[in-house]
Amino acid sequence: MEYKVSLPSYDGPLDLLLHLIKQSNINICDISIVEITRQYLDYIEKMEEMNLDIASEYLVMAAELVEIKSRVLLPRQEEEEEEEDPREQLIQRLLEYQNYKESTKSLKKLEHLRKEVYTKEPSDLLDFQDSNTPMDYGVTLEDLLEAFQKFLDSKEFQKPLNTKITHQEYSIGKRCTEIRDIIRAKKQVSFQDLFEEVTKEYVVVTFLAILNMSKRQEISIEQSRNFDNIVIKEKSDKI
Amino acid sequence: MKAIIEGLLFLKGSDGLTLLELCSILDKKEEEVSQALKELYSDYQKEDRGIQLELLGGHFKLTTKQEHKEYYKKITLEEQNANLSQSALETLAIIAYNEPITRMEIDEIRGVNSSYVIRRLLIKNLIQEVGRSDLPGRPKQYGVTNAFLDYFGLGGIDELPKMEEKEPDSQEEDLFASRYQEKND
Repeated sequence: MEYKVSLPSYDGPLDLLLHLIKQSNINICDISIVEITRQYLDYIEKMEEMNLDIASEYLVMAAELVEIKSRVLLPRQEEEEEEEDPREQLIQRLLEYQNYKESTKSLKKLEHLRKEVYTKEPSDLLDFQDSNTPMDYGVTLEDLLEAFQKFLDSKEFQKPLNTKITHQEYSIGKRCTEIRDIIRAKKQVSFQDLFEEVTKEYVVVTFLAILNMSKRQEISIEQSRNFDNIVIKEKSDKI
Repeated sequence: MKAIIEGLLFLKGSDGLTLLELCSILDKKEEEVSQALKELYSDYQKEDRGIQLELLGGHFKLTTKQEHKEYYKKITLEEQNANLSQSALETLAIIAYNEPITRMEIDEIRGVNSSYVIRRLLIKNLIQEVGRSDLPGRPKQYGVTNAFLDYFGLGGIDELPKMEEKEPDSQEEDLFASRYQEKND
């Protein structure tokens, strides 16, 4: 059995099977499972040799064929005597698929015929509508702008007063600049005074900012006695 | 009335108008409009007319005539050669003859996964979702569109060419299909 390996022409395993059957010149109903399975597997092997990805559908079909083949070959037990021909399902499927495949031929013909007649794009009827509606009411561009501004203003009023629940984010860098400004203005500031807010984030960020600045030798931290107020000053040598 | 219909259909071009739409625009009964359409149709059949009346996808449209195609080809800029692929045609045929149908059912008949083809056909507006099946997972069901009918020059779904040699006992086939699905689940 020789066949050309022209892969793109197959639309799936059923298509391939139909092709193989047609090649052997037999009626679908008379196919020999042993023979067709051999041909099918040969083909899959060829695909593998050519390093082609085999779609899983082809492998599913291969497994089904082998299963049917095994059922055909195995001696039947008596209870199973009435069981239908194991090929029956496959044959039905092939016939059904072939029917649809055949019907695409007439669709193709219709497609071709339809392409031979032309229609025109629908006319744009909007143009006609406009000519009936008078446009000139003595309205100037300024009037329009004013009206638009009014509309925007009214929109502004319509906004609910409190629309968002914001979650303020603190950044250490930002807090550093703030502290720097405070110190520059007041020369010195007590540690407590820097914690104006008492939210957890604010406290943490402020504290980190102070540590950061002290590390960079930007500020000096002084405490005259134990438990006394800590005073933060600008490092004098920095100026 | 013929003249009005002619004008309406000219304006509507490839969109066309359904019989019902024509009736409501003209405020006339169906029989009268159909009669006028018939007359218009036979008027256009005369050799000295360049357009014809066609029913495409349920809409009456004015089209050029096939026998003059050679001349039109000269003035069309691009070749309209983007024909549908074999797999697209196959899938369309399966949908057209079985609508409404789910993707699983289409895959079952074709023996391959059809997701890609279906998406392409949806984009081309040749098929549409028509509902959901009662099967587990309520999969989408597809059917063909008026654009599909127009694409193949059909007036309605009933003009679809008959499938040749339908299975002798389709009941058994149904039984098989359902059993097969169970096995697959």
